[in-house]
Amino acid sequence: MNGRLRGIVRGLVTYGLPPAIAFAVVIGAWEAYVSWRDVSILVVPAPSDVWERFVDDPGYFWEQGWWTLYEATLGLIFGTTVAVALAIVMAHSRPVERGLLPLAIAMKVTPLVAIGPVLIVIFGFGTTPKIFLAALLCFFPMLVNALTGFRDVDPGALEFMRSLRASPWSIFWKLRAPSSLPYVISALRITYPLALVGAVIAEWFTGNRGLGYVVYSAAQNLRTPELFSAIAVLALIGVAINIALSLLERRLLFWHESVRSTR
Amino acid sequence: MANETQHVRLHGLSHVFADGREPLRVFDDVSTGMPRGQFTSIIGPSGCGKSTLLRIVGGLLEPSAGEVRIDGARPRAAQRRHDIGIVFQEPALLPWRTVAANVRLPLEIDGARRRGTDVESLLDLVGLGEFRDYYPHQLSGGMRQRVAIARALAVDPALLLMDEPFGALDEITRTAMRYELLRIWASQAEAATRKTVLFVTHSITEAIVMSDRIVVINGRPGRIVADVAVELPRPRTQEIERSAPFLDYADHLRSLLVGAVA
Ligand SMILES: Nc1ncnc2c1ncn2[C@@H]1O[C@H](COP(=O)(O)OP(=O)(O)O)[C@@H](O)[C@H]1O
Ligand SMILES: [Mg+2]
Repeated sequence: MNGRLRGIVRGLVTYGLPPAIAFAVVIGAWEAYVSWRDVSILVVPAPSDVWERFVDDPGYFWEQGWWTLYEATLGLIFGTTVAVALAIVMAHSRPVERGLLPLAIAMKVTPLVAIGPVLIVIFGFGTTPKIFLAALLCFFPMLVNALTGFRDVDPGALEFMRSLRASPWSIFWKLRAPSSLPYVISALRITYPLALVGAVIAEWFTGNRGLGYVVYSAAQNLRTPELFSAIAVLALIGVAINIALSLLERRLLFWHESVRSTR
Repeated sequence: MANETQHVRLHGLSHVFADGREPLRVFDDVSTGMPRGQFTSIIGPSGCGKSTLLRIVGGLLEPSAGEVRIDGARPRAAQRRHDIGIVFQEPALLPWRTVAANVRLPLEIDGARRRGTDVESLLDLVGLGEFRDYYPHQLSGGMRQRVAIARALAVDPALLLMDEPFGALDEITRTAMRYELLRIWASQAEAATRKTVLFVTHSITEAIVMSDRIVVINGRPGRIVADVAVELPRPRTQEIERSAPFLDYADHLRSLLVGAVA
């Protein structure tokens, strides 16, 4: 137990201390610069002003952050589900792949956030446009990664299963799906933050709640400490998502070299 | 129907890979047979089409011409009966499954015949009884290949196809594995009901040590240039590699393979 505790402390010092110092330096420099140049609080607030606004009503920021996270997560789930389902079909049918991939690539090169304003027209002001935009941004990276993952199977293992007349169903569940996990999880590292972007932008255009709405209305009214508090909470959510995905990765991909090599 | 004791028969097999810039004729007019329960090696230089031939016999590839008969039927029928076991140069295990779960894989495949194959005793047979809960990345190369062999044996196939199964191992491990495989093969049953093994190698020593018979392929496209019966007593041990008959076979095979390098 003692040894384990010592291990945790050592881990915190090794991996936690350097970023903590870097963070403190950046915040300190920011604070010093703002007070040295006497920057107006309406342009860039000092970290202490931001902190003051945050602790004044932390519940407000957490609640708005919760909404944004909720919308982003629902969007992620929808976008991922559709993308993976489509990838399964494409992995089994070259004609379907040839038909849909150009369309998907066209989606990729389009800055999809540009449809933000249109969303109000289509979906109104509720939760739907946020979920929709989040899902849309998630869709393409997940589709491509899942498709690559389903295809990137050990050729020997595939031939072995084929030599026993394994059905495509059986090959999918026993070989393709587990092989795609590393791809799907690394795609999530991209798509979950993208879902957050989608939710925040949709909140700008169609919102009355969520951190995107807070950022937007605070900017309109020059409440910059509030704006920066909202951004800081967004950053915290992003970090939390990343940590959660790392833990998930370690659990699910214990067998994969990407995880083994960091042990 | 000329010879009923032939388990596997190849009739005028030719194969051309047409997807490249120029069609590549890999081998041409290969006809031979493998008697039931015999250990046959196919030896030949790299690129003469050994792997392609093995994949055709295993029903993983359709030949451009000719046909394969396993028990008188097409390879696909044998596949459906789960009568083919394959081991490749790479063990091709599923890294997220334990040793025991890898060996169990074929038994989970739809329509698997459960002939009372017992994963535990298979693992004991290949000497991995104590490693059943290990993951492939925790094993050495030789141990992984033992898992691959156990996995191929799990459905108790009558025909075992092996494509340079020890080709990726270091010299010491590979020598040990040869005699291990012979032990495993001999332990399966009495000679009459042993598995028919088709073993691809480019090692002359390996071919002589293991086989009842060696089919020598050479040239581009590859053709059968000799069919050598190895009449060395079994069980074979490593001393055999220094015996006079062994050396004679080795000289003979070497002479057949000269000029093989394209
Ligand atoms: N799927 C394929 N498509 C095109 N050419 C192939 C394919 N597989 C093998 N070949 C070619 O066929 C020849 C024989 O290959 P192979 O059967 O692997 O030989 P060996 O196992 O004897 O080394 C090689 O020249 C190889 O490049
Ligand atoms: Mg080969």
